[in-house]
Amino acid sequence: MSAQIQTLDISPVGRVEGDLDVRVEITNGIVTNAWTQAELFRGFEIILRDKDPQAGLVVTPRACGICGASHLTCAAWALDTAWQTEVPRNAILARNLGQIVESLQSQPRYFYGLYAIDLTNKNYRKSKYYEEAVKRFAPFTGTSYELGVTISGKPVEIYALLGGQWPHSSYMVPGGVMCAPTLTDVTRAWSILEYFKKNWLESCWLGCTLERYEQIKSYEDFMAWLDESPAHANSDLGFYWRMGLDIGLHKFGGGVGRYISWGYLPHEDKYQKPTIEGRNAALIMKSGVYDGKIDTHTLMSQEHALENTTHAWYDEGGADVHPFDRTTRATQKNTTDFAGAYSWATAVNHDQYGRLEAGPFARQLVAGGKHGEAWQHYDPFVLDMYKKMGGPSLHLRQIARMHETIKLYRQAEHCLKEFRLNEPWYIKPREKDGRGWGATEAIRGALCHWIEVKDGKIKNYQIVAPTTWNVGPRDSKGIRGPIEEALVGTPIADPSDPVEVGHVARSFDSCLVCTVHAHDGKTGKELARFRIG
Amino acid sequence: MANLLWLQGGACSGNTMSFLNAEEPSACDLVNDFGINVLWHPSLGVELGENLRKLLRDLVSGAIPLDIFVFEGTVVNAPGGTGEWNRFAGRPMKDWVADLCKAAGFVVAVGDCATWGGIPATAPNPSDSQGLQFLKREHGGFLGKDFTSKAGLPVINVPGCPAHPDWITQIVVAVATGRTADITLDEFQRPKTFFQSFTQTGCTRNMHFAYKVSATEFGQRKGCLFYDLGCRGPMTHSPCNRILWNRQSSKTRAGMPCLGCTEPEFPFFDLAPGTVFKTQTVMGIPKDMPNGVDKKGYIALTAAAKNAAPRWAEEDIFVV
Repeated sequence: MSAQIQTLDISPVGRVEGDLDVRVEITNGIVTNAWTQAELFRGFEIILRDKDPQAGLVVTPRACGICGASHLTCAAWALDTAWQTEVPRNAILARNLGQIVESLQSQPRYFYGLYAIDLTNKNYRKSKYYEEAVKRFAPFTGTSYELGVTISGKPVEIYALLGGQWPHSSYMVPGGVMCAPTLTDVTRAWSILEYFKKNWLESCWLGCTLERYEQIKSYEDFMAWLDESPAHANSDLGFYWRMGLDIGLHKFGGGVGRYISWGYLPHEDKYQKPTIEGRNAALIMKSGVYDGKIDTHTLMSQEHALENTTHAWYDEGGADVHPFDRTTRATQKNTTDFAGAYSWATAVNHDQYGRLEAGPFARQLVAGGKHGEAWQHYDPFVLDMYKKMGGPSLHLRQIARMHETIKLYRQAEHCLKEFRLNEPWYIKPREKDGRGWGATEAIRGALCHWIEVKDGKIKNYQIVAPTTWNVGPRDSKGIRGPIEEALVGTPIADPSDPVEVGHVARSFDSCLVCTVHAHDGKTGKELARFRIG
Repeated sequence: MANLLWLQGGACSGNTMSFLNAEEPSACDLVNDFGINVLWHPSLGVELGENLRKLLRDLVSGAIPLDIFVFEGTVVNAPGGTGEWNRFAGRPMKDWVADLCKAAGFVVAVGDCATWGGIPATAPNPSDSQGLQFLKREHGGFLGKDFTSKAGLPVINVPGCPAHPDWITQIVVAVATGRTADITLDEFQRPKTFFQSFTQTGCTRNMHFAYKVSATEFGQRKGCLFYDLGCRGPMTHSPCNRILWNRQSSKTRAGMPCLGCTEPEFPFFDLAPGTVFKTQTVMGIPKDMPNGVDKKGYIALTAAAKNAAPRWAEEDIFVV
């Protein structure tokens, strides 16, 4: 029995950072195979070679305009570990606050700007929620769209108070931060947070107070919250939840079922003498790998991450290589060959668990684990949802992401509360040679930098971004990357407008520019070819 | 109603993110109140795949008028002039750029990458990147120095890494509302209204500059960042201390040295060892002087300033 396979090349898939091209094979209206292609190479790691050790503080935020604070965080901590600096308590808080407000910025901007507008696609005209979705989510004119996209600029005003501007400040430096905020800065920051909470987070997104939402710890709690009040059910969260179920977003887009988080937000009292080894025990949000297949949690550390370039445009052989040992040799002629090399993204593996998904979904599944230190943040909600909804889906990925907003808000409050304005913000370090590693969780997932400083200059700089984990091509064993895997099983209603592919790709908040060498492009073959096989 | 298309080449989306922070007008206001019709934008556009390609083809052919073409990111030429390292909608992005610039009423380069090449063009420039009409200080770039858009203007350069949202929105609104006569450009095709004054204009550390009181380390509550920490405020054209960032502050106000990111040479000294956050000096005199000041004048000025410096200038001033 031979099925008819339709090959669909989608170039570009918009509304991801950078450019993503996707090839899917469709059998009877369902995606049966997929390839994701990253198609822009700027060569940041090559640019950084032989430069000033601190060049990463200037260059890497510019790898990605959306998660510049996250890159800066990694670049600073990487140098701290290489130079064995001392980082004052205030500086840890000021770095964390920068990371947090950038993430808060991203929540409404991503949800309305990049993701929810697809709910107004003609595909969903038959849904009873469609008209309301158009009213709320239509680009530029939707009530929530306009509010959400505009208010997304507010949290990063706090970043500007610390670093002068967002995006692209370099206020985090080895030994601390450049700023020394005053009472004015702290008061304003509080006020900006309150404004964000009052005008969007509570009123529009939740339909309730943060305190009420924070009582939700399980699937049943969430259902009870939804039924408790029309304000909850009709909030953007309640509405999105209901519409998503109605149009079946909980039925596809699951992915590999294994997850990674580096953890983030080092505690202000526990990481003042930063080391690579000491990081896991110092984090408020713990690191981890969650294996959904066997329901286990383990800690994550940098030596487990390996890159494979078998199917990527690098002339570096087919072996799994640790980033410290990578050389970044770009292929000159990057011809697309789906059996060979077809992307600038590398395939990142965990040496024991293989391909892993990074992102807020991963973070929340890790947060549900009992591993790590007793004092570290624990939250069983998303893991409970995962188990009771039969595993991962694109719908749950979104819910997990937005669930973090409330926690990020609380962490921002914590930073502001804990600043001691008359204590130091910076301790001048001594520059030296050495190897360092810095990590954080960008809003879209696990991000880390490896640096090697030799003879007073950068010998090797390597970045593995969340989208490198997610959008990577097949590895040496031919195993699909997480987004490729998540695309399999996706129903395509209209091959001339495959919005469902967009949903899945966007649910990862893909950032191809962050993969540092990525942009999807295609070979210009005609769009849909049919072959009988 | 003005049709606007925004594309990204070798970009990080920083200018897009900056643009989305805009207020008065906000990005949504531009569409709803100022009659800007955003045909497509990489982060905001609805269409994907073939539906977008059709739009692009219609713009190139003139079937749909393209009033304003905004480009963010570098023009990537690697490998070997083919542009294949940056493919978009089925062909090298540089080919789309060439076609769209021919069809556009106005071309606006937003951010350093599109204006001068920026970070990607930093040595060794692995992606063989150019700005639209400049590469660093060299006039020409991807389109050539004689390029003018259909409306008869060269590329309007809005530099910065990133550009400030107000710089972007004000230029777009001026073009869309027929006020291009009010846009005067400097020698680097930057709108003078933003780039005639200096980053130092309005800096809260100006008194410390005047009395040559230095911030010798980060995290201090006093001092000017020019003398030791590599601040380029006195020789950089930008309104960063007049039109504040995120409505709150600026790098220098927050204690971060200006990196000179609105100038064609950014990143300065190609980030060579010893040049990051450190003032480059020869015999104790800064290599790069405040704009228009010569060495002799500088020495006389700073000697007098030091002699005249009041005691308060040495004490913390930005106190809690």
